[in-house]
Amino acid sequence: MAASKETLYIKGDRNVEVTKPDVTLGDILSMECSNKEIIPKVSVLKLMKIPQQGEHRYVVSILKIIACIHEQYPSIDVQNIGETDIIVTYENQKTKSKAWHVLKTALVSVLVFVGAAFSIMTFNNDVDVPDLFTQVYQFATGEKSDGFTILEVSYSVGITLGILTFFNHIGKKRFTVDPTPLEVQMRTYENEIQTALIETASRKGEELDVGKTNPSSNLRP
Amino acid sequence: MLVRQILLAIFGLSGGIIVSAGLFSLIVEIGVISDFADRTHTAEHINLYEDCTVLGAVVGNLVFLFRWQIPFGEVLLPIFGLLSGVFVGCWAMGLAEMLNVFPIFIRRIKIVKYTTAFVISVAIGRGIGALVYFAKGW
Repeated sequence: MAASKETLYIKGDRNVEVTKPDVTLGDILSMECSNKEIIPKVSVLKLMKIPQQGEHRYVVSILKIIACIHEQYPSIDVQNIGETDIIVTYENQKTKSKAWHVLKTALVSVLVFVGAAFSIMTFNNDVDVPDLFTQVYQFATGEKSDGFTILEVSYSVGITLGILTFFNHIGKKRFTVDPTPLEVQMRTYENEIQTALIETASRKGEELDVGKTNPSSNLRP
Repeated sequence: MLVRQILLAIFGLSGGIIVSAGLFSLIVEIGVISDFADRTHTAEHINLYEDCTVLGAVVGNLVFLFRWQIPFGEVLLPIFGLLSGVFVGCWAMGLAEMLNVFPIFIRRIKIVKYTTAFVISVAIGRGIGALVYFAKGW
């Protein structure tokens, strides 16, 4: 390494999953430098060693990562253009059995099916849709409704259309390129979880930050 | 006569569209379904869950309005009861979460530890409450 002042740009995602216990900088960062020799050297720098057993989750401050680089290469000018705190999740096994995954998915599918059916029924019951339809029918036609009129049929069609429009797709066929409301909600939820994780770790002093020499002493099991 | 039928059809159709959009944006916004997907780590199947929601809403509405007879009632009934209970339980807590019930309470009465005790008592309280409600026939 020459004494030249190289600028290394690093960018990390907020949430990284690793599968091997030795976490190197290359596992959690993407890097760019005008001196191409630096990148592979920095990539193999070891950030921490995770205990083998079970699942572990750490919050790593970007300062810790920069300190880790400066320890070996003090002359590099590190520029962070990504997140300032990175959640590193370690899972020992890549996946549990596929059958279990399918079972869970099937269970949630049935659950939301029943839940949706239940909610629309409680709604109809709550606002007394059948009674209202009888009244509207009588008001419009002057005849007595038998509970199975054009109103109920068109309402059912409307329910279908409305909810399909709302969710923006039938099966794999999408009506527009926008993400569906659930996809948006899912990302929002994940973002909130990540923010909560980072803030909790930082408040409890569990975040891996500079000034803490031995990371394993403040790791959460 | 035909005009009236058409007017009624428009009324029903529009009502259905607005009701379903409103009700299901509430469900999505409360985050019940994304909670399920997150807990089971099956977020990649979120589109399937949406399809099931659509299907459930449509079938549930048809069953309710047209009084469909469903076979195997004895077997399906407890499943339906259990699952709808799970759904509503998550819904209620999702609503409480959205309205910041817990953070406000915990801040007001200044208890930071033992928050799990609250969660458990809320769960048990809800269960007993529902039982008493049905047992008394209220």
